[in-house]
Amino acid sequence: MRAQFHSVRVVPALAIIGVMVLSACTGAQQATGEASSPEPAAEQPNELLVLEWSGYEAEDFWTDFQTASPETEVSFEFGDTDANILALMQGGSQADIFHFYTGWQQFYVDEGLVREIDTSKLENWDKVPAEYQELGQIDGKQYFIPWDWGFTSVLYNTDEVDEVTSWDALFNEDYAGHISMWNDGPGAVSVSSYINGWDETALTDGQLAQIEEDWKAQKDLNAFYWSGEYTDLCPAVQDGTVWVAYAWQGCYATALAAGDPVAYANPEEGRNSWVGLYGISADTDSYELALEFLDNKLAETSCSNAVTLFYYGCANGDVMAAIEDPILIEAFGLDDPAILESTNFTPLVTEEQRSAWTEMWERVQAE
Amino acid sequence: MLGRRGILKFLVVPSFAWLALFFVLPLVLIAAFSVRVGSGAVDPSDPWVLSTEQFGKVLGTPAFVRLLGISVVMAMGIAALATVLAYPVAYFLTFRAGARAPLYLTLLLVPFAVSYLLRVMAWKLMLGPEGGINSLLGTLGLTDEPLELLLYSRPAVIITLVYVWIPFATLPIYAAMQRIERGHHEAAADLGAGPWARFWRVTVPLSLPGALATFFMVFIPTVGEYVTPTLVGGADGIMYGNIIQGFFTRSANWPLGSAMAMIMLALTLLVVAVALRVIDLRRVAA
Repeated sequence: MRAQFHSVRVVPALAIIGVMVLSACTGAQQATGEASSPEPAAEQPNELLVLEWSGYEAEDFWTDFQTASPETEVSFEFGDTDANILALMQGGSQADIFHFYTGWQQFYVDEGLVREIDTSKLENWDKVPAEYQELGQIDGKQYFIPWDWGFTSVLYNTDEVDEVTSWDALFNEDYAGHISMWNDGPGAVSVSSYINGWDETALTDGQLAQIEEDWKAQKDLNAFYWSGEYTDLCPAVQDGTVWVAYAWQGCYATALAAGDPVAYANPEEGRNSWVGLYGISADTDSYELALEFLDNKLAETSCSNAVTLFYYGCANGDVMAAIEDPILIEAFGLDDPAILESTNFTPLVTEEQRSAWTEMWERVQAE
Repeated sequence: MLGRRGILKFLVVPSFAWLALFFVLPLVLIAAFSVRVGSGAVDPSDPWVLSTEQFGKVLGTPAFVRLLGISVVMAMGIAALATVLAYPVAYFLTFRAGARAPLYLTLLLVPFAVSYLLRVMAWKLMLGPEGGINSLLGTLGLTDEPLELLLYSRPAVIITLVYVWIPFATLPIYAAMQRIERGHHEAAADLGAGPWARFWRVTVPLSLPGALATFFMVFIPTVGEYVTPTLVGGADGIMYGNIIQGFFTRSANWPLGSAMAMIMLALTLLVVAVALRVIDLRRVAA
């Protein structure tokens, strides 16, 4: 009886303790989030934790900060999709800075996860074109700093695959076992919407059901679904395992630089385009240091490295305007005045859409 | 001055506290999340509306239920293979290795000095198109080009997990065999039993509890495995654990992920309970 008595009381007690612990964490987070005005802390630790995408920890991407603040210890935590990055921040990540992509801005502001940026403290801010600055604004406040931008398209092996002119190459049975799709529901929805000519922000239930069926049928064509661009996809493209892949420019640049037979498609439905944004956590104790880090990300060398080494665009307009390399001009479509007209920009998604698309993707994987 | 019972309590309190904090509490939280409505990461300050909605979603999705079944069958196969392959190793260590048994046992445990992730990554290289196995097959003239089904497939997951579990699986069987009185074999021999008869009628029954313990020690964690399928399974080798992981990370849907985890836990416990009910170990050993 005594044992039963204890077990009956202990389980709810543990649940209450757990909820209290989480509530305390969340409460603290919200309290800080509400007081999101950029007031510097009295004493800040000399270290930064950045929630990044695998590959972006490369020192070339933040070399100006290293030079400016060599004594600061910068470490990285990784996410592999926008949903993952948001979940990590919601789950209490200790990151001071986080990196995500267009379409997800509103969630961070609504949930009090981000602190407003004091742009007056950024020396490189005036080099960022106004249209990019606006991408980081919600309700007139600057919450995010735009940094990298680029395209998503089909990367393919020119020795094994004929010229790719459509996103439907990802569904081509001739390449069965050599295709690799990004492990991400919203990405899959975008691709299907391009192929079918649908507006991805206004999909009907029937269209979403069709998308799910298409990707279920496509599943067996994949070697694997990739999560890390540099850890999963690039090695497989370079060793010949993957011939056709949903990919960003970074992997294309890596394979091209290594002399591999690859091309980056210009699908008739248009490429996808995205802009990467950095936010400063509402919970950070290193606000000033985080600002300095982001300011240096916008500086010339770090931005130039992103452009020349990884084929990503950068929000520093001076760096982009100085591009003369014909390969880079072609990669960014700078010589194509119509490129923006045929590009699909990543739209803002709602909570409902995000939930439906990610659930759909888990069902596809379980198939 | 603490009495004997006081010292005992003093010694066990840290262990219980550790388990309560890092095992029971997370489990209770997962159970609590699983009966919440909605999706997304869970904010405990939101109103707690209890519902079985998430369980209905999981059980109402044939793909999830089927994948759970596949994962259970895979885990059973992997556990059976690991147990069968570990059994002769344990037998050798107990009855044939003699004074060198401690040395061999140490060698058996050497793989544990290497990170689990690295061991799985090694298999990714081994099974790859230019890996050791394909190179060997090519060198022997058995294949003209690399076998593609080796990597990124369900067999790749099974091969890798069986390899990973074998050293671990040997230990409970070895412990069970060590407890077998040598006198039993001598008595059986005196009664005319040959080597095979002694093995089947003395060694196997008396070591069976250890073998069954091994089976379940491998089966239980394998059902929810997701690291190995992620690295070597590809699109075909995805297991139920990958979907749970996906709901907690990619999809940021903790309630649904929690419900999936609770269903897996319940099914695993059910399988173990049924198996232990069907197999009466005391009768087997007798």
